[in-house]
Amino acid sequence: MTAHTRGVFRPSAEVRRILIIEDEPINQMILARYLEGNYSVLLASTGGEAMEIIHKEQDTISLILLDLNLPDIHGLDILSRLNADPRYARLPVIVVTADIKAEVDCLTQGAIDFIPKPYPPREIVLARILRIIELSEDRDVLRWTERDQLTGLYNKDFFYHHAVMLDDHHKTLLTDAIVLDINHFHTINDRFGRAYGDKVLQRIAEKALDLVSVSGGIVCRSEADTFYMYCPHQQDYGDILEKMSVDMDDEDEGAGSENRIRLRMGVYSSVDKSLDIERRFDRAKRAADTVKDSITQAIGIYDDAMYEREILADRLIEDFPAALREKQFQVYFQPKFNITADKPALCSAEALARWNHPGMGMVSPAVFIPLFEKNGMIQALDYYIWTESARQVRNWKDTLGVSLPVSVNVSRIDFLDPALVGKLKGIVEEYGLDYKDLILEITESAYIEEAGQIIETIEQLSALGFCIEMDDFGTGYSSLNTLASLPIDVLKLDMELIRSAFLDPKAKRLLEAIIKLAESIEIPCIAEGVETAGQTADLKEMGCDIIQGYYFSRPLPAADFMQFVREEEKQEV
Amino acid sequence: MVTIDALRQMGADVDDGLARCMNMESFYLDLVNMALKDPGFEKLSDAVKAGDNKAAFEAAHGLKGIVANLSITPLSNEISEMTELLRKDQEADYQGYVDRILDMRNKLSAL
Repeated sequence: MTAHTRGVFRPSAEVRRILIIEDEPINQMILARYLEGNYSVLLASTGGEAMEIIHKEQDTISLILLDLNLPDIHGLDILSRLNADPRYARLPVIVVTADIKAEVDCLTQGAIDFIPKPYPPREIVLARILRIIELSEDRDVLRWTERDQLTGLYNKDFFYHHAVMLDDHHKTLLTDAIVLDINHFHTINDRFGRAYGDKVLQRIAEKALDLVSVSGGIVCRSEADTFYMYCPHQQDYGDILEKMSVDMDDEDEGAGSENRIRLRMGVYSSVDKSLDIERRFDRAKRAADTVKDSITQAIGIYDDAMYEREILADRLIEDFPAALREKQFQVYFQPKFNITADKPALCSAEALARWNHPGMGMVSPAVFIPLFEKNGMIQALDYYIWTESARQVRNWKDTLGVSLPVSVNVSRIDFLDPALVGKLKGIVEEYGLDYKDLILEITESAYIEEAGQIIETIEQLSALGFCIEMDDFGTGYSSLNTLASLPIDVLKLDMELIRSAFLDPKAKRLLEAIIKLAESIEIPCIAEGVETAGQTADLKEMGCDIIQGYYFSRPLPAADFMQFVREEEKQEV
Repeated sequence: MVTIDALRQMGADVDDGLARCMNMESFYLDLVNMALKDPGFEKLSDAVKAGDNKAAFEAAHGLKGIVANLSITPLSNEISEMTELLRKDQEADYQGYVDRILDMRNKLSAL
């Protein structure tokens, strides 16, 4: 780009247009001369003429200089017409008058400044005009940035800003944070096209504006198909949802008749104003998520139970670093038995994390594992479990002379760490183990999501000699044909699959088929959650190789597990 | 044709008026000549004769803006005074104002 074009292609370098509304030719001519060279000038001698020009040229006019005493329409009337019409309200008007007493009226009607008659020197008039134009342009930019262009609603940032301002002025007013989502909006776009989807969003925006115009409050389009509403506390949320739901009719291109757009709604009622505004809407959003995909329920209310869960989650996240440091996490080991021979033989164990929280006692992994998986803390916890497990394997070798491999969980998040292979290798080396001593359990869904990168890493781990166990098989996509191509040494069947197999004959046949298929590609199967001798016998008959579950033992703390191994060894002997 | 000197002699603040015309003498004098021929003078005279103070005010108000911008001070002073009286709809010798205003306008026009 040349210096020349760089200088020209800027809005401020464009010639701005100023409309002079003045019936006296001499005054017109003086003002026009004042502006010459700096602005392009449009002239109107009557109010009627002025309104016509404004109507045609509204988008290109930067400023209006308005004389009050016009032959047809009074300048004040012109001001109020401009002010009342949203198309023209953005146009800044400077009143040019010798009548100081008219100033209050002019300001009330929307004038932005005054130029007296006789006119001040040219430099002063030009400086004043430029300042007003720049201010007004800034205001326009602000207007564009604070609005969602498709719906004209506030964007989220400005919505939050205004919500905080509303709170400042209505400190004691009970207020609701409401989130509205369109059910399956992407399918609306896919089926009827983007233009139709946009129309849906615009309709909902109109409904939302109608609603808050009655109830009070503000509304914004937060993102794609999500709307936020901040309004005085309401009694009937069903009524709000009904009013917000849109029926697209035959006039709406693309869709058939009776196409009702369904919304789901999350309400955080009578918000706690000491919370950040973002947090209040997080709560409403989470409430909305509780009814996602529900056929019977469209409104989720943030309640005490959700609050309790949130408080617990906050506390656990907060306490996590200290828990790691102080070794509050304990590794429990659940034995796995090979049942292929006549007598089941202890063949390995699974390492399971337990949190002995100083204030809360034993915290269930069902509570903290999903939480840490979500925020990435699981990486640190997994590393801790791997290290502790390796330490125990070493201990059993040294103390009992037993080589018992331990399977450890490798979360999907762990694969985001480019140093993962190095870390696992480092642990094995540190404790002088064989790679076969650590079995890596990778959940089935991890193979599907971001498959490329994950499979590449698993192949590297497999090549080193780690045994790879596909965990929870049967819960996700269960794509049997991919089993052969993936680096998997063992298939671990999901607990639910096992449980349902003993309740439903059909499920049992399915389980049998899966075991047979795995057998045909020479991948042994592990069944977890096995609780009885009957189940063990059935699984053995089906061809299952390894069993894990309460039938053999619950998960045991390291010391108890060591004792368990000792006894098993004695029995062997 | 009115001149800068004649305007100065009758008390106009020519420098001020010229400044509004970017010190372009010919432009300034063109505007002064236009102002002297402005139909507002006749409208003002007719309205006063007819006793129509509202119409007189509108005419005076228009003229005031023009002559003030050109800094024809004596004319501007008379018209301003008259405008303010008319704005308040006060009793005054409006015909006297019109006579003085037209006299000044005519003298300048006669040059």
